[in-house]
Amino acid sequence: MLSVTDIHASYGAVAALHGVSLEVAEGELVALLGTNGAGKSTTLKSIAGVLRPTQGNVTFLGEDITSSKPEAILKKGISLTPEGREIFTSLTVAENLRLGAFASYDRSRYEADRDEMFELFPILKERLSQPGGLLSGGEQQQLAIARSLMSHPKLLMLDEPSLGLSPALVEQIFELIGKLRDRGMTILLVEQNAERAVQVADRVYVLNTGRMEFVGTPEQLEAELDIASVYFGSNGQKSEVTL
Amino acid sequence: MSPLGKNRALAGLQDSPTIGFIALALVAGAVIVYVAGSSVLVDIYTYLCINVMFVLGLQIYMGHSGVLNFTFVGFVGIGAYASGILSTPPMVKAMGVPNMYQALVDVHMPVVPAILAGGVIAAILAAIVAWPLMRLSDAVGVITLFAGLIVIHVVLTQWDNVTNGPRTFFGIQSFTTLWVALGGAVLTLIFAYYFKESSLGLRLRASRDDRHAGRSIGVNFVAVRYYSFVISSFVAGLAGGLWAHYITSFSPKSFYVTEFFLLLTMLVIGGAGTISGAVTGTAIVSVMRELLRQLEGYLNNSGAISFEVYGLTEVTVAILLIIILIARPEGVIGVREVRLPFLSRKRRPIESAEDTSA
Amino acid sequence: MIGGEFVINTLSLGSLYALLALGLVLVYGILKLINFAYGEYIMVAGYTMFLLGTYAGLPIWVNMVVAVLLAALTSYLTELVAFRPVRTHAFHAMLVTSFAVSVLLQNAALLFVSPRSRAVPLPAAFNESISLFGVVTPLRNVLTIVTTVVLLVALSLLMKYTVLGIAMRAAADKFTTTRLMGVPANLVISVAFIISGFLAGTVSLFWVGRSASVDPLIGFAPLLIAFIATVIGGMNSLVGAVAGGYVYGLLFNLLSVLLPASMINYRDAFMFAIVILFLLLKPEGLIRGSYTEERVG
Repeated sequence: MLSVTDIHASYGAVAALHGVSLEVAEGELVALLGTNGAGKSTTLKSIAGVLRPTQGNVTFLGEDITSSKPEAILKKGISLTPEGREIFTSLTVAENLRLGAFASYDRSRYEADRDEMFELFPILKERLSQPGGLLSGGEQQQLAIARSLMSHPKLLMLDEPSLGLSPALVEQIFELIGKLRDRGMTILLVEQNAERAVQVADRVYVLNTGRMEFVGTPEQLEAELDIASVYFGSNGQKSEVTL
Repeated sequence: MSPLGKNRALAGLQDSPTIGFIALALVAGAVIVYVAGSSVLVDIYTYLCINVMFVLGLQIYMGHSGVLNFTFVGFVGIGAYASGILSTPPMVKAMGVPNMYQALVDVHMPVVPAILAGGVIAAILAAIVAWPLMRLSDAVGVITLFAGLIVIHVVLTQWDNVTNGPRTFFGIQSFTTLWVALGGAVLTLIFAYYFKESSLGLRLRASRDDRHAGRSIGVNFVAVRYYSFVISSFVAGLAGGLWAHYITSFSPKSFYVTEFFLLLTMLVIGGAGTISGAVTGTAIVSVMRELLRQLEGYLNNSGAISFEVYGLTEVTVAILLIIILIARPEGVIGVREVRLPFLSRKRRPIESAEDTSA
Repeated sequence: MIGGEFVINTLSLGSLYALLALGLVLVYGILKLINFAYGEYIMVAGYTMFLLGTYAGLPIWVNMVVAVLLAALTSYLTELVAFRPVRTHAFHAMLVTSFAVSVLLQNAALLFVSPRSRAVPLPAAFNESISLFGVVTPLRNVLTIVTTVVLLVALSLLMKYTVLGIAMRAAADKFTTTRLMGVPANLVISVAFIISGFLAGTVSLFWVGRSASVDPLIGFAPLLIAFIATVIGGMNSLVGAVAGGYVYGLLFNLLSVLLPASMINYRDAFMFAIVILFLLLKPEGLIRGSYTEERVG
């Protein structure tokens, strides 16, 4: 479904990705792991059109989207739930959701779509007319994901959904991610919480300072790399400490 | 700690051959123009040299911080008026500015101290006014500086007792010859280069794009901007004084938005952050402006067109600036100083930087 | 001294200032750009009134409508031609570009029309005095207040209840994230500029209505007012802009009344000094918006 081939990306003069490739097949849940600053968010942004790769290609459903604008990429079916949630704090929950449906708005379906969201995230129905800024961290994360789902994406990209959440909420989020995958959603998940991500993923990529260090199944990952080194970036050598 | 630091950060000064080359080019140009004997060309070149001083002075704060500093021409005006008042003989002042305060009429000093005093007065005023401004966020800061220029302009235009109000202030001695202007330009060139490479200049640039990053390496953002602003205003005042003693008569109109726009264009077209860029841009715009002014005069006087032509210069300069910003926003010269192949110099290793933390 | 006439005057002046500030903040909120060319949209409307009024034999209200539409069009075009290309290449250069566009338009008027001010034909009704609550005032003042109220209500409805309005508010909050929702960046920005120009054009009708003349620099004073009013109100909210406008209008009229005749020419300097002092105490202005300062891509 999604094919990223050898992309390079920079922030101004600082190069962040040095030739990253990955693939996501329909229905898969792919996890992209790595330490802080490895380039995981950069990769998602390059796919979503927020950043334009300086080299390489991004292909989605056979179409080259490497230099497409973010709004066009959303229309093609890729939705990015950004790092840090980025919900519109001065807009109400209802308005946030409405905006999520901007590109795919269908008046006859809208109520039903929203009800589906309320089923997955009951708290949003309660807080419907409150400004987004008043929601707690966990509620904001739910809103961010719901907002992305409102556009009926074919590929959902989640950038560090568990960031800054309490362990109980992290559980909730990963449960939700699992539920979405079971419903058939294709998901590309970026996470620092490698342990949990690996438990729910079909395949795993590991990035290290802009280069892909590992690709395979969770079981293969366990065997080859130490999870701890995924946290601390020790160039893939097996160390004494195991998790 | 002194704001300029111990200048251990003047590492290598790799671009000094380029700066030397520019200085030589300026001198050579002056000699050529002088020998050619055309007074028109001498005028243009003198004016060019003074503009170089203005634009490099503007660069000291604005070029490195990225903040649009409208008040710069205001301080030019303050320097011009201050040095003019100080150096002009009392009799001339009494005639030219009927309402002037007696104390100001009586004061009389030689030209060079007067010009220096003009710079100092501008710097003092900048020092008093600027500290609170440096804290403001960029958008509010630009608006405040714009308002500051208006305030200076209003004061210059209204304070009859000092400036002769909106009317022309005349009778200033002619002191700035081609050679004086050239000397000023070369000195400013060297000073601007040293500022750029100094600890203060580096820190100013560091806090430009990302205040938080700058602060995290110990740059005191407000202090750095403040000192740079005062230094820039000092140069403005000095250059204003030299200009006053070149043009010998002027009014507050010369220190307002359009003049700022022209200086801004000179700075940006060449490349706002580099010395070679600033000088190149100044040359381009000064020459263009002269040509267009001749054209305007010709069209108006020859009756070739039935309506009067005003503003042609500004329109053309504005279009040129917009085109450059679209096509090559880093300016003609770009982000790095020009490296001259025949003058390249081995890079010296960086001396131990004792002084980089604030 | 401060009586009914003062109140009507201040409300009228404050209304104009509020509209001015609003037009400026609409663009600033989304693009984080202070648009120096904003004053020139007022000039365009003024010159349209002059040219149509003097040379075309149309009813005066047609002139007014065309003037406002042309101001909106000019605003849209300046964004398309000058700001959009710069926005994508060198974001920080937009401010300089807007300044260049301002100088360009001013001097184009100087060049192609005239450096001298021109008389503008206005509706006779503008200067008719009417009596309101026992106060005698030109009809123009009342029209200003009424028009402003209508526009403010219309704009609020747009912002609150249309998806376009929601998108614009979102764009002012987080521009890049708004694009991730599939909202076209260029659409939102163009609409903001069109409304901004529309507001400027409306202000122009009443601004020119006071002096009955237009000159190339007519946009300068309103621009400055828009700047200061916006800064007073806080640069990050529409409500703040409106509040800033009324406060600034009040300040202007108070100073006009309180300053001795010898100092009246320094009024502008006083006002700015007061505003700068206010900013030192409250740098974020009267009303703190909830937006973060995000860079537009």
